[in-house]
Amino acid sequence: MTSRTVTAPSPEDVRAVLDAVPDPEMPPVSIGELGMVVDVRVDGGRVEVDLVPTFSGCPAIAVIREDVERALRPLAGVDKVEVRFVRDVVWDPERITFAGRRKLAEFGIAPPGSGQTLLGIGGVKCPLCGSRDTVADSPFGPTPCRATNYCRGCRNPFEVIKP
Amino acid sequence: MSDPRIDLLLAMADDELVIGHRHSQWTGVAPHLEEDLAFSSIAQDEVGHAVVWYGLASELTGKDPDALGLGRQPDQYRNAILVERPNRDWGYTVARHYLYDTADDVRLVALADSAWRPVADATGALRREERYHLLHARTWLDRLAHGPVDARRKLGEGLVAAFGEALGLFEPLPAEGDLVADGVLPVPHAELLQRWLDMIAADFDALGLERVLEEGATMADPEFVPTSSGEMEAPATLSGPHVERRDRGWVPVGEFTGRGGRHGQHSEDFAEVWQEMTGTYRAHPGATW
Repeated sequence: MTSRTVTAPSPEDVRAVLDAVPDPEMPPVSIGELGMVVDVRVDGGRVEVDLVPTFSGCPAIAVIREDVERALRPLAGVDKVEVRFVRDVVWDPERITFAGRRKLAEFGIAPPGSGQTLLGIGGVKCPLCGSRDTVADSPFGPTPCRATNYCRGCRNPFEVIKP
Repeated sequence: MSDPRIDLLLAMADDELVIGHRHSQWTGVAPHLEEDLAFSSIAQDEVGHAVVWYGLASELTGKDPDALGLGRQPDQYRNAILVERPNRDWGYTVARHYLYDTADDVRLVALADSAWRPVADATGALRREERYHLLHARTWLDRLAHGPVDARRKLGEGLVAAFGEALGLFEPLPAEGDLVADGVLPVPHAELLQRWLDMIAADFDALGLERVLEEGATMADPEFVPTSSGEMEAPATLSGPHVERRDRGWVPVGEFTGRGGRHGQHSEDFAEVWQEMTGTYRAHPGATW
């Protein structure tokens, strides 16, 4: 053995890192868990990551790009990180992983599968107390991907990932 | 000879940016808090959609998306005149919101079949997000159309004021022929206009705006007429250049004459919104956040 070479990370290594990069607006959940990672390619020391934004108008896009670059650059064997936002994939709440859904619920946001509808007919499971005695408040919540609801059971407002 | 695809992208991007800016002017002053939030959220979506189209235009022109969105002179903007008009009152705001978002939907549905993949791809996410805009616009159209009397009157006035200029959303682009021939624009604007007219005629029918006028005229106490009081402007009174009323709907007649927003011609109202919208960018060119 004459020289030591640092081997490039595998795509799985990269994905594991992305699974730990927090979403800037919902920090308990990672961008990997939100289903934003479309593809990862590793070519020597060059890492390319394709992401899809949850909503086109998401103001956190630039922050996410920087966070991903900052998280991947220190990886052994990585020289260059390229982050692209792709448009040929449509983000859908169904892309959120099981772990992501559990964390959203723990954070107080009703994950997909809680019974949310476009029209907001109520009955979404409250992530705080589990009651179904809830009503829709507004489809226009604090971020483009979230709506607001109200729980009559525990008398708390809560947020919902929009369908 | 510039790429005709740039004209298409700028028409859509400028429409979205300017309507988004007008919507944002309701922030803090809408009739109630929920509408403050609704219009602010819709405005954010529309500006985000403008960024998608500017991003594609940026790839064709080599210019920064911010420079495209905020760094051009007023006569270089290609938005339809409809979107630059001030918000006036709630009746006009709802009328324009409805007419614009239905027209945008017709345009996005057609572009899903574009031979130019990046445009076809982008329509998927945009339509998904626009569902909320359509739901919001139709909910308010429905609500105002069903009274009370003052709401109907203001909605009617708003529709009359906005309808003619909404037709300008379908003004053919300068190189329309090339775009259609290449399949970038799968159908010409004349066909998109007909699709949109059919869509809104069906909505107006469903709201009973026609029946309303006939019945309401004979009612002594119009406030509680089930559908409306008769003070609502009937669709029949909505008119504009290049369309004719026929069979409870409209059909386009003749060619667009004159030049509007798609050729950089704007109303006196554009100067004001342009100055406000681009003020920070012009004062600090090249600044970073």
